[in-house]
Amino acid sequence: MLQEIAIVGIGETPPARRSDKDVRALTVDAVMAALEDAGLKAGDIDGIVSDGVVMPTSVPHEWLAAQLGIDRYFDASMSYAGAGTIGAPLLAQMAIQTGLCRTVLCYFGVDWGTRPGGPYAFHDLYPAKIAFEKPYGFNAQPTYFALFAHRYMHDYGLKLEHLAAIAINQRENSRRTGRGQNMKPMTLDDYFKAPVVADPLRYPDCCLISDGAGAFIMTSKERARDCRKRPIYVKGVGFASERISADDAFTQRANLMTLPSVGAAKAHLERTCGLKLADMDFVELYDCFTVSCLMQLEDLGFCGKGEAGEFVQAGHTRLGGKLPVNTHGGLLSYSYRLAVEHVTEAVRQLRGEAGAVQVKDAELGLVTGLSVPDFAALVLGR
Amino acid sequence: MSVAVEFDKEARFGPEFRGFWDDVRQGRLSFPRCRACGKRHWYPMKRCPHCQAADIAWQPVSGRATLYTWSVVRHPFTEDLKARVPVTIGLVEFADAPGVRLITELIDLKPEEIRIGMQLQAVLPTGNEPCPKIRFRAA
Ligand SMILES: [Zn+2]
Repeated sequence: MLQEIAIVGIGETPPARRSDKDVRALTVDAVMAALEDAGLKAGDIDGIVSDGVVMPTSVPHEWLAAQLGIDRYFDASMSYAGAGTIGAPLLAQMAIQTGLCRTVLCYFGVDWGTRPGGPYAFHDLYPAKIAFEKPYGFNAQPTYFALFAHRYMHDYGLKLEHLAAIAINQRENSRRTGRGQNMKPMTLDDYFKAPVVADPLRYPDCCLISDGAGAFIMTSKERARDCRKRPIYVKGVGFASERISADDAFTQRANLMTLPSVGAAKAHLERTCGLKLADMDFVELYDCFTVSCLMQLEDLGFCGKGEAGEFVQAGHTRLGGKLPVNTHGGLLSYSYRLAVEHVTEAVRQLRGEAGAVQVKDAELGLVTGLSVPDFAALVLGR
Repeated sequence: MSVAVEFDKEARFGPEFRGFWDDVRQGRLSFPRCRACGKRHWYPMKRCPHCQAADIAWQPVSGRATLYTWSVVRHPFTEDLKARVPVTIGLVEFADAPGVRLITELIDLKPEEIRIGMQLQAVLPTGNEPCPKIRFRAA
């Protein structure tokens, strides 16, 4: 059996809608914070991993390596955006376990808070979207998930109050951290007063738009003992990508009421790491929208199909509930760095450093990354 | 992601897309169907994604459809949406083309009149635009 690897350092820039620094500067800050947290020097890093689309075109590995003084003997990227960042520990695991390198950096950053086009620009990658969707005004993630939400309401009796409960829980968590990007108090009444973005989704149902970066450093269990903080182990990574194109995934999949690849990634993860997701003490789900958070709760098996709305409304996903979800406020209220902040939060939880949002005695946590049709699930433990 | 966005924007005029608009200009709404395995697929692909055969025909549908789901886009996500919102979007299914769903604009319908499962009728464009829009209204 190969040795486990551990996350030994984390770093993130403060949650912000707009920063006066660009994405490269933000990333450098986050990586230097992660090195400091680990008690390592940049020269100790000998491998870099990231998502395969966003980072290679905005903060390339070789640029970052030159800036910080890193010679690489391993370099890899996978999938794209959130599923890539959450899946990347798989690459680090393979490289460290086989001796290709010793200490691996993973990072992600965005400046979509200030960049024109923001997260909507990437739709122009897909020919069928350009031809058959964009002309109709169907060209933004909120509209994709709005279609899911309406059909879900029709099939399973989802109520808007269920979606509101997710948004309100996470806003409350963000407020408790004392540093979330959106810490405005929100009642049910405030939720219903918020403007509709794409029926039935309102502003509080949608992730933030942010400028910011995050980073984490992984090494062998053995080397982890010499680092500054308590090592947090990578217990398992499940990545899956169903045979459906990104063009088709939001409209043509036979069953649109489950998210692609989530069930497959869960099964793969449980089979390979010997753990059950039911044993998690908390979860940091890829909450690009309230409805995608809700669908993951079901597709990951935390509740039955059609039951997540009641599950959330009953308070089970709050801090102190049986399954705390997005303890820092998530992409909805903490920041939108496509889940790298979910990794840093999970590590804080497992170290016992989460302060006012600490889950008592947290030993195992799940982090997910959704980049339809790709999905990655990462189990961390102390 | 500004580099990746420089993807070939003319891909919509690729050979596997052309039959759709050719037929629309003839007054027909058609979708690809594999001559080898008989299955449909949507969106257009180079070969049949079920059996990888290259022999794909465009098979017309009647234009009657059922509403699968919908939304009203109210936020102008892009520059061109600023003058157009609110836009009512429908995702529709066809009894005579199972497995195909089409994104469309729903017209002459108020949000409160929209019901998932309602019957719709295609409104095909007239004129000679290269890539005209297909809209649907209540049947
Ligand atoms: Zn075929």
